Amino acid sequence: MKRRRLRLALVLPAVVLLGVFLILPYAEMVTMSFRASQPGMMYGQGYTSGHYQTVMTGGHYLEALVRSLSMALVITTICLVVSYPIAWHMSRARDRKALLLYACVASPLMIGVLIRNFGWMVMINVDGPLNRALLSLGVIDRPLRLLFTQGLVVLALVHVFTPFMVLPINNALRNINPAVLEASRSLGAGRLATFWKVILPLSFPGVQPGLILVFVLATAAYVTPALLGGQMVTLMPTLVVQTLVGTFDWPLGATLAVMMATAALVAVILFSLATHRLMERVRA
Amino acid sequence: MTRLAGSALIVLLYAFLLIPLVAVIAASLTAGDFMRVPPEGLSLRWFARFFQRADLVEALLMSLQIAVVTTLVTSAVALMAALGSQALSRRLATWFQIGMTLPLLIPELLTAIGLLFFLYRIGLGKTVLGLQIGHIVMALPYCYVSVAAALRQIDPALDDASGSLGASGWQTFRRVTLPLAMPGLVMGAVFAFITSVDLYTVSLLLKPIGGNTLPLALFDFLTYEFSPTAAAAATMSVLLAFAGIAVIHRLVGLQRAF
Repeated sequence: MKRRRLRLALVLPAVVLLGVFLILPYAEMVTMSFRASQPGMMYGQGYTSGHYQTVMTGGHYLEALVRSLSMALVITTICLVVSYPIAWHMSRARDRKALLLYACVASPLMIGVLIRNFGWMVMINVDGPLNRALLSLGVIDRPLRLLFTQGLVVLALVHVFTPFMVLPINNALRNINPAVLEASRSLGAGRLATFWKVILPLSFPGVQPGLILVFVLATAAYVTPALLGGQMVTLMPTLVVQTLVGTFDWPLGATLAVMMATAALVAVILFSLATHRLMERVRA
Repeated sequence: MTRLAGSALIVLLYAFLLIPLVAVIAASLTAGDFMRVPPEGLSLRWFARFFQRADLVEALLMSLQIAVVTTLVTSAVALMAALGSQALSRRLATWFQIGMTLPLLIPELLTAIGLLFFLYRIGLGKTVLGLQIGHIVMALPYCYVSVAAALRQIDPALDDASGSLGASGWQTFRRVTLPLAMPGLVMGAVFAFITSVDLYTVSLLLKPIGGNTLPLALFDFLTYEFSPTAAAAATMSVLLAFAGIAVIHRLVGLQRAF
């Protein structure tokens, strides 16, 4: 008994660390969003709920929020379309080949987001290989200017989040009993019918967390839009950082961050509720 | 025909994953004066140029220093937490696991903002220690997940056997548990190190006055000067990650790692 209690004490450093430097900061962020602003200072005396009113009535804040959420939705959808075939292909591979494929999918995870974005900058730049290839093929007669466009931000973020989607789907696909697929086929279902009616629903326990994780991370992604989006598109994360670091209005920045987090959370809860029945059926 | 189209699609998708990495490495090896892919001739001169830039080297050293401390602290805390969590009941263990991976599930930007306010309140705003704390919080989940997975693989009977043969708790840990958990611990340490070296948003909001980490310096560099020196800097972090993957592969095997 004493030994067990001693052992339990080992979790304390981690609990204290995350409690103090993760949970308290979130509480501080919420508190900050109700503080009064004061020009020239990070924040002023007293409390107010005025920032929420400012954000709710200020058209361009809501516009940025809606833009961020819809962009995250687009990214999540493309991510799923890109990831599913990869996950399927991976789940069929064995031994050395499987190892190589794992390395291909996981290696981008080990490399910073900034560097992966930079790679796209090199590829699509006015003088880059994409433009030169298209020019020499005669597809275009003058180089495309793709840098600082919304499309590029979407492409780069899909690239950043694809591993987060592939790995859980791959796990779910690996867990499908091959006998089920054979049963479906021997009962006369074609390849397409087997995919829609059997494989896709059974892989949903991997698809759902993948979708949620990518959506949440994409809503609040800062680096990629900041580097590749230029000044063209105002997204919520850029707006938040500008407010915090540029104008030093901490209460307003905190309000924007809380609104963004709440909006993403509500979307996730709605999605989970909507897909709850499907999850239950797969588990049964 | 459909089979061929399917294979082509798969190859294309894998290529999509790897293109940016290949582009950065290729651009850094150019002998010419401009960022070009494919490179115009091969040389390492842009790497030499990187080391002549005092600001970039300083940022690299700061990144390495913070990453080393992050690795040491997270490894110790994660190992203790993973050992302790084995004494938790099943239900609690699941919640504990979720709690430990929170920094990974919540967007980095939100954690960074919360820490910015909180560290300022307790007098650590804009200090190296504050930045260090941010890195430790962000790296902890990666480290914990791999250590906990390694510990779960150990047969509990070994623990009992060691105890019934008269070994003390500490001796059992030192002679039985630690050697068996070592591969997972090394993997977690490598993950923590790489995560710390790559962190951008947390570093942007928490950086000390006058201090810069490599990703921050690289971002600034990219926005005003698009030269192969930046590619050289990026390639060095890619190589660092590959070295880490090689270490993991030797010790654990990649498939168990991800």
